[in-house]
Order: sequence, then C-alpha cells, then structure tokens
Amino acid sequence: MLDVWVSGAGMTRIGRRPEALQDLMAAAAADALAMAGRERPDLIVVAAMNPEEFVGDGNFASSVATAMGFAEVPALRIETATSSGAAAFYAGFAQVAAGLHRTVLVVGGEKMTHLPTPKVSELIGRSIDAHERRYGATMPALAGLVTRALMARRGVDEREMSWVAVKNHAHGAKNPLAHFQAPVTLDDVMASRMIAEPLRLMHCCPISDGAAAVVLTVERAAVRVAGTGQGTDTLALRHRRALTSFRATQEAARAAFAMAGFGPERVEFAEVHDAFTPFELIALEDLGLVPPGEAGRVTLDGDTALDGRLPVNPSGGLKARGHPLAATGLAQIVECVWQLTGRAPGRQLDKRVALAHSIGGLASNNWVTLLESR
Amino acid sequence: MIEQIAASRCPRCGTVVAPPARLCPHDPVAMEPLQLPGAGEVVSFTTLHSPPEGFRSPLTLALVQLEGGACFVCHGAEATGLRIGARVAIEAIDGIYYFSHLGTLDRARLFWRRAGHAGDRVNAITRSVVKRVWKGRTRVEG
Ligand SMILES: [Zn+2]
Repeated sequence: MLDVWVSGAGMTRIGRRPEALQDLMAAAAADALAMAGRERPDLIVVAAMNPEEFVGDGNFASSVATAMGFAEVPALRIETATSSGAAAFYAGFAQVAAGLHRTVLVVGGEKMTHLPTPKVSELIGRSIDAHERRYGATMPALAGLVTRALMARRGVDEREMSWVAVKNHAHGAKNPLAHFQAPVTLDDVMASRMIAEPLRLMHCCPISDGAAAVVLTVERAAVRVAGTGQGTDTLALRHRRALTSFRATQEAARAAFAMAGFGPERVEFAEVHDAFTPFELIALEDLGLVPPGEAGRVTLDGDTALDGRLPVNPSGGLKARGHPLAATGLAQIVECVWQLTGRAPGRQLDKRVALAHSIGGLASNNWVTLLESR
Repeated sequence: MIEQIAASRCPRCGTVVAPPARLCPHDPVAMEPLQLPGAGEVVSFTTLHSPPEGFRSPLTLALVQLEGGACFVCHGAEATGLRIGARVAIEAIDGIYYFSHLGTLDRARLFWRRAGHAGDRVNAITRSVVKRVWKGRTRVEG
C-alpha cells in the first residue's frame, strides 16, 4: 500500500445557499485544487446522499464532473447516507493507495434548505429502518431514544449535553464558513423548545447547504493519511446489541488505529459527528479519546474547548458549522487539514495528529479518518 | 390472555427480532418463527413534538424489551410518569402496537399465566379497558 497525502482542501461557506448544488461542489473543488497546485485530477469521487430527491438531478458523478469542466475525467459516486463524504474519502484513498490513480479529487455536497423542513426530515429519515419509520421514527426520535437511555444508564445530564452546544457554537463563531456564527448560552440551549424528549432544538444540528473537497495524491505533501476505517451496525435501532454506544464508531476506530499503528492517545484534536449534542459525548468514549463515563465531565471542565487539552470540533461541528449531509464528512477533514497546515486563522491550533469521525444514518455506517502533519 | 406478538429467532446466534424477519440481521441464516407474550420492560422512550406527517402531536414512542428477547418499537398514550425499566403490556390496534403501564391487575394476570391458571375473565376486562383508552388515541390516518 502506497502512502497517501492530502495536498489540497477546500469548502464553501455552509448555510442557506442560493447556488446550484453542482456549482457549490465546483467551488469547493476549485479551492482544493488551487491549494494542491493542480489544474486537473486523474479521478473524481463524488459524495451526495440524495441529489435525486433534494435537487432532482441524477447521474450525479457525471453531472458534477461536467459542471467543473472535467467531463473527460473519470468520475464515480459513493453513498453511505450522512457519512457519504467520509466514505468517498476512503474510496479515493483506496484508489491512490493501490496505485490506480496518482491524484484523486474527492468532493461532497448537499443542498436542501430550499425545501420545507418536514420534507427534508422525511428524506433524511428514509435512512431509518422501514418498520421503525412506520411508527413515526425520525432521526431526532431515534436520537431521543438513545439520549434518554444515555441519561438513565450512564449518568449523562442535561447540562453536559447542553454544554456541547455552547462550546461548538463558540467555535463556530470563530469560523467564517460556519452556518451559525453567534455564540449561545447554556440558558439559551436549556430553554429551547423540545423536539424529541429529552432533546431540545439546540441539541440538534441545523439543515444546511454546502460542499467540501480534498485532493489526495501519492506525491508527498504536508498532511499524510495515517489511517481510515469503517464500522457498521444493524439498520434498525431495535436490533442493536447496545443503545448507549455505537458499535459502528468503535469498529471504525479500531480499524483506523490498526492501519495507523498507533492508538487514541496520540490524537491531539478531533472533528466528531455531533448531529445531536449527546452524540459528541458518546463518540469521545467510543473512539477511546476519554475513559468510559468521563465525556460529560471533561466537556464541562473545558478539556474539549479550543484551548483545552483535546479540542473537539474546532470548526463548530455539525452543530454550528452545519450539516450539509454528504459534504460533512469531507468538511471535517478539510478542517483537520487546515488546522494541521496553519490555515485556520482565529481558531488555529498547534497540533500534529487529527481524527475525523462521521456517522451514517443512525450510526449504521460510520467512518474514522486519522491525519498527521509531516 | 396476553396478546401474542409474531417474532423470529436465529437458530445460529439466538437473536430474536419482532416483527419477524426472513434472515437474521447478524447471520445469513433463515430465522424460525415464534410468538412472544406482549409484555416487557421499557428500554427507552421519547415524545416527539413535531412528528412526521400522518401522526398526531405529541407522539410518544418506546423501545420495549419483550419477555423472550426481542426489542420492539411501539406507541404510547403519554410519557408522564413513565420510566426506563417500567413494566408495560403491548396490544395491537388496527395493526399498530401500543404499550400501556402494567398495573396491579396485569401483574397478577402475568403471575397467574406463569402459574398455569386461567384468569381469563380478568384478562378480558383489562383488555377491553385498555382498548377503549387507546381507541381515542390512534394515529391520524393519512
Ligand atoms: Zn444470527
């Protein structure tokens, strides 16, 4: 297996965007290619969760490649629900590592703010088991079930899960590309309206448009891909062997650390999938970044803030940067690359080893990516 | 009698799922059908304040661990006073399963059932009461 390097990373501002999805993805790709100093990749891997329904376009790899002016460059599309961006990164990584292509552009995006919220929820909810959907299960509903169990069985309290939102909004306020750029208080979060008890509105990430891209290459660059891993679990939440931890995260982490040849103790900062703020607490423990039962405490202690021992979601996370589905897994990696190469003014960390964690569906198809600076 | 719920069991790993599935989620093995009593313990629950189209707000959903192993998704009237670990009975109304708290009568009924006695009259009464309560709360069809 060849060493794989990230030579470019780019993304659009996340939020409500008027541009066509293909144009957002082309803009992110142009930024990534400019940073890499390449005009044209050898292969394009496209991530989009559901452009057929969200924007009405199919044959999407060709559509995006053509919109970028790369009609003659081979392009293919990858999909694993909300973790599609991370899955596409893996597919691009595998191509380069196998020596099949020297330079691969990986680009992900989603556009949905033009649709009414119930329609967006329904489309995202199609990644849930059909029987559970028949009972009205949505993503927030299943997350509410997980959160209630987490509070009852593992002692997580509302202050801890609310503080994740306060912290990530504080980080987002320092990120000019974030969907939300205003800080929030603990009272704001704990007084926001109930969505799926015990989850309140401000425990949930927003609906966002946006795109992100990276360039992977065999040529030595500033950031090396140290490891990448996938983990999976049953589609139905009711079939899970555990409810308060995610096997898919644990297995993805195990695989990524095995490839990297080091363990979680070497990770210096992380971008994790906080679609619902309690999921950040679950992730910290599933990834082995904090000991079992301590995620809430270390969060309240400030360990995971920008100036803490282990900054988590310096970009603002899904909560504040936003969650344009298939763009998200790549936006996390873009943030890691920018942090590792001194391109994150206003929130710049001085760290060398990063972890990105992406959840597909209700944690049925998850990914962990490890990056290190040279 | 307590309502029976259709389920299936994996002959290889012992996993029980409800409703029944053709293959085990964990093994490429045909599952064997079985019936489970419609009673169990609440594993978790939530109340949705903006449920999807076709459901009345607020909508309470619960995960119930049935006696016999399967974890089951069902609806409930309200979450007030409900706790994780609470014992509930499950009944189907128009093909949708609902839970209700297991009261003293139900506990006795379960005990009698285990002890091999009939208790049929009490069961019939409890059942009709539960159904009457639920009939007013079924989901909006649409
Ligand atoms: Zn099995």
